[in-house]
Amino acid sequence: MNVLRVSKLTITAFVLPCLLLYTCIVFIPIIVSLYSGLLDWNGIGESKFVGLQNFINLLTNDPVFWPSVRRTLMFAVFSMAEIPVALFVAILLNRFVKKPNFLVSSYFLPVILSVVIIGQLWKTIYNPASMGGMLNQLLDMVGLESLTRSWLTDPSVAMYSLYFVALWQYLGYHTLIQFTGIQNIPADIYEAARIDGAEGLKADWHITLPMNIPIIKISIVLAFIGSLQAFDMVMVMTGGGPAHATDVISTHMYNMSFLSMKYGYGSAIAAFLVVICLCATVIINFLFNRLERKYS
Amino acid sequence: MKWSYIFKFAITGTLALSLAACGGGNGNTPNNSQGTNEPGVEGTANTPEKPKDVTITFQNIFPDPTDPKHIMMKTIVANYEAENPHVKIELDSLNTDQQKLKLKTQAASKEVPDITVVNPSAQMKPFVDAGLFAPLNDMVEENGLKDTFQEGILDWYTFDGNLYALPDGNNIGLVYYNKELFEQGGVEVPTTFEEMVEVVKTLKAKGIQPMAIGEKDTWTGSFLFMNVLLRTNGGPGFLQDVMDGKRTFEDPAFLEAVDSLQSLIQAGAFQEGATSFDYNAGGNLFNTGKAAMYYMGSWATGSIETSSVNGKIGVFKFPTVNGKGDPNEFMLAPGSAFAISANSDHLEETKKFLNYFMLNFPQEAFKVKGAVGIAQKVEGDFEAAGYSDMAMDVLAMFKDVKGGDLAFDNTMNPGTTQVHLTSIQNLFVQKKDAADVAKEHQTAYESNK
Repeated sequence: MNVLRVSKLTITAFVLPCLLLYTCIVFIPIIVSLYSGLLDWNGIGESKFVGLQNFINLLTNDPVFWPSVRRTLMFAVFSMAEIPVALFVAILLNRFVKKPNFLVSSYFLPVILSVVIIGQLWKTIYNPASMGGMLNQLLDMVGLESLTRSWLTDPSVAMYSLYFVALWQYLGYHTLIQFTGIQNIPADIYEAARIDGAEGLKADWHITLPMNIPIIKISIVLAFIGSLQAFDMVMVMTGGGPAHATDVISTHMYNMSFLSMKYGYGSAIAAFLVVICLCATVIINFLFNRLERKYS
Repeated sequence: MKWSYIFKFAITGTLALSLAACGGGNGNTPNNSQGTNEPGVEGTANTPEKPKDVTITFQNIFPDPTDPKHIMMKTIVANYEAENPHVKIELDSLNTDQQKLKLKTQAASKEVPDITVVNPSAQMKPFVDAGLFAPLNDMVEENGLKDTFQEGILDWYTFDGNLYALPDGNNIGLVYYNKELFEQGGVEVPTTFEEMVEVVKTLKAKGIQPMAIGEKDTWTGSFLFMNVLLRTNGGPGFLQDVMDGKRTFEDPAFLEAVDSLQSLIQAGAFQEGATSFDYNAGGNLFNTGKAAMYYMGSWATGSIETSSVNGKIGVFKFPTVNGKGDPNEFMLAPGSAFAISANSDHLEETKKFLNYFMLNFPQEAFKVKGAVGIAQKVEGDFEAAGYSDMAMDVLAMFKDVKGGDLAFDNTMNPGTTQVHLTSIQNLFVQKKDAADVAKEHQTAYESNK
């Protein structure tokens, strides 16, 4: 630390305001949330301290909670599985397209659209054919009538329909991130590799992939945390229905806090979500640190 | 090396926490916006001789500028401000759902606006129990305001002898039907539930969508279900009996209601994918002539009158189920109501304004053709004022009301209500055993008691 030629006082002066702000808008709400998780409270009237009862109910006696955790984790798995695809698209764009910026921007377009718009758009696409649903009409036309269904209200497929929309929306986002990463890899490395006889996919495997690991890590973390928080899209498209079939942790938390008026219980769910996010981030970082060390 | 480790962990931790906080904050974010519409502390020491400047915050659920109720509200407010120059009314107009959410967050920090909107009975009870509202017993007597309200309507807003809110509406559940589509389908208005199921089948066979519903908003299906239950129970009071411990949800009347509703659903009454249609989308199917029947509260009259099917619509009372029940007993929907914050900094001024507002409400609503289903008595000739035949029929139906039940969420606690709503929504996507549905209700009721 002595490398820095600034006094500790100066450092404090610059860091403190930010730290204070951060404490106020991040740490204190989390602590308050944790505390509310210990209360039996409807959010309005008197509260009663019940210790860990909310957490016990949550983990042992809530028929909606564990399925919603499973759906959330599935969401995360799907979003992370998308990143290799995004990387592949980015590699193709970088290699075979002369002026890739236009394509990258158009893939990115869904990301800047509001989730509400995306939700309404796909709701219309998923509608039953009788209501003008595009997907079902398409299936009808190509003779796959047996596959038509009401995608958002059939409990067995509704959640997958939602995953797909999220993947569709964020493919461009991850493609952009990966694309930027790839462009930062110096061209002379590839030239050297070509002399050594590594071209195309082989070069990608040995150069692009390892050199891009820090960027992949960013994508993975963003995808993971983003899907744990998936809320708006589910809310717009199904509201967690039909009959909890598409509830994720965050929508369950919302329903409990504001519809069932169990604010304390909702806070317990929030606390659980914080813990999952923390663990996941630590694990992802640990894995990637090892990977990075291996390749650097 | 060691330092960098610690540093990395710190960064990792903060990143995780900050990102996680966003997730955890979904429920809490409205907290940040609260208080923006709070008035200043002006006019604390209010003396009647020397009126000080007062700003009254008026939270309401008439945000749509084209809505007659919005126009009417603006008119009354403007009149009042003209007559009382020292009073400024600040409108905080929100959608119903937004308003419910905002009020809950405001209530959590005891910062309820001077005037706000609540729903009757069980829904407003938590707020009353928390002592957030001022009793209006004295205020409602002033200028004869109490006598403008319909008989018995204020009871839904009265707790332990204290009146806490003044309703803007009083509605009943009924079936709207499209006469043109009924003619095309060659069917008559059903007089029993069994006939209704037959009508559904006939219409379906002729390619006409029999009924519309917006079951993404789960209360719509619940409202219909409760009307079936009102019939199979042979009269009102089933939920009250459950709460009094006299009966359980596993009662035959409840099972029969579940089975009856399922028979309607299985006959194909509702549009495909009904659970992805919200209230507005469901209503639109009917309002654009794409569905033949629509079960809804009489508040829908206004939006049907301004839609393209106006003039082709008739109404009928919800029929008997298996010969049980009385069609003159209705699902009652005492409307949302205005309440005054107990902590208001200028309680007297606020009471005075609300008194004026409610006194002028009926005649102003009548002028903008919004007087069907309001909670007060209206003087005036509806027909001469240009109300449609359907509106006249609805008004006539009000005269036949011989009692009935409130919606589920106005009777039961929110915890049980949510389980009920999802359970009924489930019937719209899959066939269930009535006993399972009953058990689900009973378990939820017992764990939320």
